[in-house]
Amino acid sequence: MARPSSMHVAVVGAGIVGAAAAHFLAAAGARVTVLDASGPAAGATGASDGAVSVASKRPGPMMELARHARAFYGQLETEGLFTGLFHRRSTFLIAQNALEAELVSQHGADLALAGERVIEVARADLVQRIPGLGDGVTAALEIPDDGHALGYQITARLLQRSDIDVRRRAPVSEIMVRDGRAVGVALTDEILSADAVLVAAGIGSAHLLNLGDILIPRKGQMIVTDRASTGRPAIDGHLMAASYLAAKRGIALDRSHIGLVIDPLVTGQFLLGGSREDNRSDHRTDAVTVSAILRAALELYPPLGARRVVRTFAGVRTASRDGLPIIGRHPHVEGLVIATGFEGDGICLGPFMGESAARMILDRPPAADLSMLTPTRFARGGSSA
Amino acid sequence: MSDAPILVVGGGPAGTSAAATLAEAGLPVLLVEQRDQLGGAIHRQVARGATHAVHAPARHRRNWAELAQRVDAAGSRIELCTGTVFLGVDGDGRHLLDDRESGRVVARSVRAAVIAVGAVEKIHPFEGWDLPGVMTAGGAQVLLKETGVPPTGPILVAGTGPLLLAVSAQLAKAGNPPVAVLERGRPWVRFNSLLRMAWAGPQLGEAASYVATLLSHRVPYRTGADILSVREDDVGLEIRVRRNGTVHRLRARHMLVHDGIEPNRVGIPLSDPGGAVPVVLAGDGREVLGADAAILDGRRAAREILARLGMRLPEPGEARLTAARNVQAALSDLFRSALPEPTPETLICRCEARRLSDFRSLPDDASTREIRLMGRFGMGVCQGRFCGPTIAALRGEAVPSAIPPRWPLRPVSLAALADLKTDDLES
Repeated sequence: MARPSSMHVAVVGAGIVGAAAAHFLAAAGARVTVLDASGPAAGATGASDGAVSVASKRPGPMMELARHARAFYGQLETEGLFTGLFHRRSTFLIAQNALEAELVSQHGADLALAGERVIEVARADLVQRIPGLGDGVTAALEIPDDGHALGYQITARLLQRSDIDVRRRAPVSEIMVRDGRAVGVALTDEILSADAVLVAAGIGSAHLLNLGDILIPRKGQMIVTDRASTGRPAIDGHLMAASYLAAKRGIALDRSHIGLVIDPLVTGQFLLGGSREDNRSDHRTDAVTVSAILRAALELYPPLGARRVVRTFAGVRTASRDGLPIIGRHPHVEGLVIATGFEGDGICLGPFMGESAARMILDRPPAADLSMLTPTRFARGGSSA
Repeated sequence: MSDAPILVVGGGPAGTSAAATLAEAGLPVLLVEQRDQLGGAIHRQVARGATHAVHAPARHRRNWAELAQRVDAAGSRIELCTGTVFLGVDGDGRHLLDDRESGRVVARSVRAAVIAVGAVEKIHPFEGWDLPGVMTAGGAQVLLKETGVPPTGPILVAGTGPLLLAVSAQLAKAGNPPVAVLERGRPWVRFNSLLRMAWAGPQLGEAASYVATLLSHRVPYRTGADILSVREDDVGLEIRVRRNGTVHRLRARHMLVHDGIEPNRVGIPLSDPGGAVPVVLAGDGREVLGADAAILDGRRAAREILARLGMRLPEPGEARLTAARNVQAALSDLFRSALPEPTPETLICRCEARRLSDFRSLPDDASTREIRLMGRFGMGVCQGRFCGPTIAALRGEAVPSAIPPRWPLRPVSLAALADLKTDDLES
């Protein structure tokens, strides 16, 4: 196992995690085949905002890992792999009433405790930086070290910059196991043999690994507007409403299932999101949910009223039963690594988690402690949820 | 839901015919048209305030007068919403309408829907097709019908198909005959197709009258001509044309291009006559059969809905649809020609400024998703309505239908959508 040059690895899933794992496996000398039922970034990776954000993470291990993961983006940007694709950008955590201000303030304290730079911004200063902000905005925190990257661009770059065989329209129906060891994957009319298998297939991992009672699809509906500016983001920062933080921290602020973010894209368009709809794996968008997101967005940032909606779309996040990602070796099958359940954090965590999965396949220790994310926690029957 | 109306989208011949047929059967109809008057592209009425009228064949005028009378006779059974854009069907089955006159987006519950959104013009792209002086021949024709006034200065008409003849003759009659008509195909050499056309119906006679008009205005009609590129300078357009292996340079102020039409399908709901809310496509938006057949096809769509609702059916007209299909097959054979390969710099997607070279740099087996996300094709304001057919042709595939169908089909005011009105039938 330790000699990658003699290894063939089958990676199931060409999302950002699978692509990153494949890239680093190939870079280490392994022969890699990436298989996807559709193609690169066809799932949640291609249907998400581009927040590489620590600001939004739940306090605890996720916040810690997000800091590692964001630093990894910065490293890969500096080294050249992500040149032009990763941009530093502030996140603004925004409160619109006293209850939300309390939540934002608590979250800011948690971020500071984790070592994150947090800046309190008075309303007057904020309005100067983001003119037109809604009257209801009372307080905001700026997290200046966050960043932005588009999942599908990162995925494409990872696959391009290494020698990987990418097989599109290649659905994997089964992981082949012999004598307790993964020996390949079954495709429609072919068995592809491999020395190790990584399953990073999002919600598709559920049927491959019988994780149906552990993985939960969570649909998110999003909206894209026309351009408010040309060739640069229309506002200087990513606006994250307290409703989004509440959703992440598992707090119900109201009965809506919307966690609002206003994401200014480099094209000058806005990406507005999103809903959180448990056990929904379809990609339909509905006018009632979309209009609710738009009303929340307008309240926070009224200049959006001058925009037109050009597209609505939905992505399906894969959440685990206890809310934490799943990455690690399969509890009973040798040579089989799992990486899924990144929920809405896949773009931020993806490259780091993919690289970590590659290390696990090569029997090398990951760069951070990932023991709390091991799939074994479910095999023991112990769930922290 | 039985008092909910049947939605008919599109007030051209197919939609108007479907609406009238359904209303005559006693059903309430909601007829939605994006323009301020019924008529569609073929029966486009003179714009309000314009004084000129453009010559239209007597058959078309008769057909439209009859349809308009049936709509009038239906009275309040047809609720007519002009100036209203159909935004599509959302994931919960709401039919979304953008009433641009009042600035409201409404979600209507309907009992069934007939989608009759007509055809879109095809353009085989060449360098410079996006220049301001270049427009589609069909677009120019509709403008001419509305205003009665042709563009001023020298006009070149190019591309393929019978519409080139019709538009050119109309321009001539309106006082500005084109400097030339450049047809890519060689219809004269396809005698069998010409014979089939002669048997098939009135179209050949109509074409002959257009040719006569062009001859009397001494407009040259050149076949086997490929447009290579168009450039613009201070005096107008310079058009490079290849004919019989020789490259010619022509000059004009305006260039009208057209490469046939195909059903307008991008993002349009799929036909689902058996669904809980039956959806039926009609007219050129279902199958390009032409203006006369669209009236029959509207009635056919109405029959399909009536049959589904267990109601009495009007006379069928399938035989005449088959005849129209034969005419279209003969026409497409008549004008069949090989398409020249555009240069790598040729613009494919105008919204996002993507060129053929950008498309070719994608992997050969790129998924539809990758073409959108990585290629940025179909990601702009038109959401692939214009470049979708071109991309499909480049890949040699049918226009990909978005599943689930996308909405909004057209850009919609964010404020209006935020203020969505759902009708009373919804709790």
